[in-house]
Amino acid sequence: MAAHVPPALPRADDAVRSGAAALAAAADATRARRRRQMRDVGLGVLGVALFVIAWQGIKALGGADSTVFGWRMPISTDDASMPHLWTVLRRFAEPEVRGNGRTVFAAVGSGMWFSFRLAIAGFVIGVVIGLLLAVVMQRFTILERAWSPYVVLSQTVPLIALAPLIVGLVGQIRIGGFQGRPWMSVAAMSAYLSFFPVAVGALRGLQSPKPHSLELMHSYAASSWQTLLKLRFPAAVAYLLPALKLAAAASIVGAIVAEISSGMAGGIGRLILDYFQKATGDPARVFTAFLGAAALGLIVAALIALLEKFLLRNRPKTELA
Amino acid sequence: MNASPSAAAVDVSGVSKIFNPGRANQVDALLDVNLTVTPGSFVSLIGPSGCGKSTLLRLIGDLTSSSSGTITVNGKDAAHARKDQDYGMAFQQAGLFEWRKVHRNIELPLELRGWDKAKRRARSEELLRLVQLPTFGDHYPWELSGGMQQRIAIARALAIDPPLLLMDEPFGALDEMTREHMQAELLRICAQTRKTVIFVTHSIPEAVFLSNQVVVMSARPGRITHVIDVDLGERTNPDEVRESAEFFKKITEVREALRGAEGGHHFGVDDR
Repeated sequence: MAAHVPPALPRADDAVRSGAAALAAAADATRARRRRQMRDVGLGVLGVALFVIAWQGIKALGGADSTVFGWRMPISTDDASMPHLWTVLRRFAEPEVRGNGRTVFAAVGSGMWFSFRLAIAGFVIGVVIGLLLAVVMQRFTILERAWSPYVVLSQTVPLIALAPLIVGLVGQIRIGGFQGRPWMSVAAMSAYLSFFPVAVGALRGLQSPKPHSLELMHSYAASSWQTLLKLRFPAAVAYLLPALKLAAAASIVGAIVAEISSGMAGGIGRLILDYFQKATGDPARVFTAFLGAAALGLIVAALIALLEKFLLRNRPKTELA
Repeated sequence: MNASPSAAAVDVSGVSKIFNPGRANQVDALLDVNLTVTPGSFVSLIGPSGCGKSTLLRLIGDLTSSSSGTITVNGKDAAHARKDQDYGMAFQQAGLFEWRKVHRNIELPLELRGWDKAKRRARSEELLRLVQLPTFGDHYPWELSGGMQQRIAIARALAIDPPLLLMDEPFGALDEMTREHMQAELLRICAQTRKTVIFVTHSIPEAVFLSNQVVVMSARPGRITHVIDVDLGERTNPDEVRESAEFFKKITEVREALRGAEGGHHFGVDDR
């Protein structure tokens, strides 16, 4: 068939014109995006500046006795509760233990690296489990109905209550040469928090293709596996990314809480605990650990944002903001 | 393709489709429908909203199953024909996958059938020339206008070179100018590729302009009331045809058939 295809000529003109218009619109969108990025950076800097001003302003207002014009402030503003931000920053450069070489900065950094690896391990496990659950629940509607209450229930049980249980369970695992280790229980708890948003987001994404798209695949006599790979997964990406952001943040929280509640040493969780015990003598130091934990959250958020940029590089820029 | 030229491209006999049978919300979508489509013909299904014309099309495509009766496509039962890819389908929404470039959208049915990459690409290039968008293979669908997207959808429906095209209001979402242009384009493509087409539409002029046969249906229960033959010749000059006496005569005939089918009303049908 189609042996006598005429050269594409006059009739395509209008199509080409509207195509050019579409491309011009795409170029406009690129410029608008660049402006938005500039604005985002500006807002980020402004946010930090406002935080510094607010912190120091409240502190200056309350003073050492936490009162303003004789009125008691709702929060304590003395140096023990609200150290000067520059005191906190200066603390980073000081040695952790007098006479020892390692600075607080190095201690917080190594704690972050330690917790980061545990959180990533938990995140990866959580994402895999979440995706598997979503695929199975999409495929078998009856399992969606059977399982989803438990999926939701899993998140209503406080992690702190589960921590000793999980540490105990993982510690007992012995399969051949494999033996459960404390870091694995931390990763498991991190995974426990991060699988949930992935399962929910991925399920919605896998269910998102419109009926006519599914009918199209059906008309091609595509198998359900082919439909999953060629239609459902690509359609789910836009739904999965917000879920991954939540999961990444949850994996950090999970790792830190698990470190604290299992007493595991080496990570930022334990550092927060340690520095708290020395808080009376050195209140600023606790805040260095806080900043480390916050920075960890920002780092994983940035990593997911990069992933998003990569995965959605060829998608229309307006959908699902 | 495989059937002998004398055999019907599509044969629908005694087909009924009842949704929710035996329940309070039972709907008799189609009742005892008989329809024979000869190879190479262009048949439009027209009728008020809810007359079951889309359902009939979907039954032929084996996208839903009938409650009774038999449907033969290309000499096989509908399920078989679907699995053998004896038809291509186009919907009102172009339904292109936004994460795939135009080429890869057209290649999708070929990919699913296991064609190798080079062969797929060659076929896609050929089809893009056919729908007169030869330079757009490396664009994403969302960079194209609605009319262009619909051309790509038609190219995709033609990818495996099926003998039959099933089209469900493919131009329904387009503006009037684009729509008329696309109608002429579809005729040209069909003439070149010698396809049999079953085309669902709301528009009387569209049905008359495109078809050899306009099948008029009534609603609740969906039934075929009239089959009107149309012969407007080659239609190489669409504007001339759309202003001809024969065109208007047939439009009137279809309109009156619809009115008869509806008992004095014809809700849901465009006079455009």
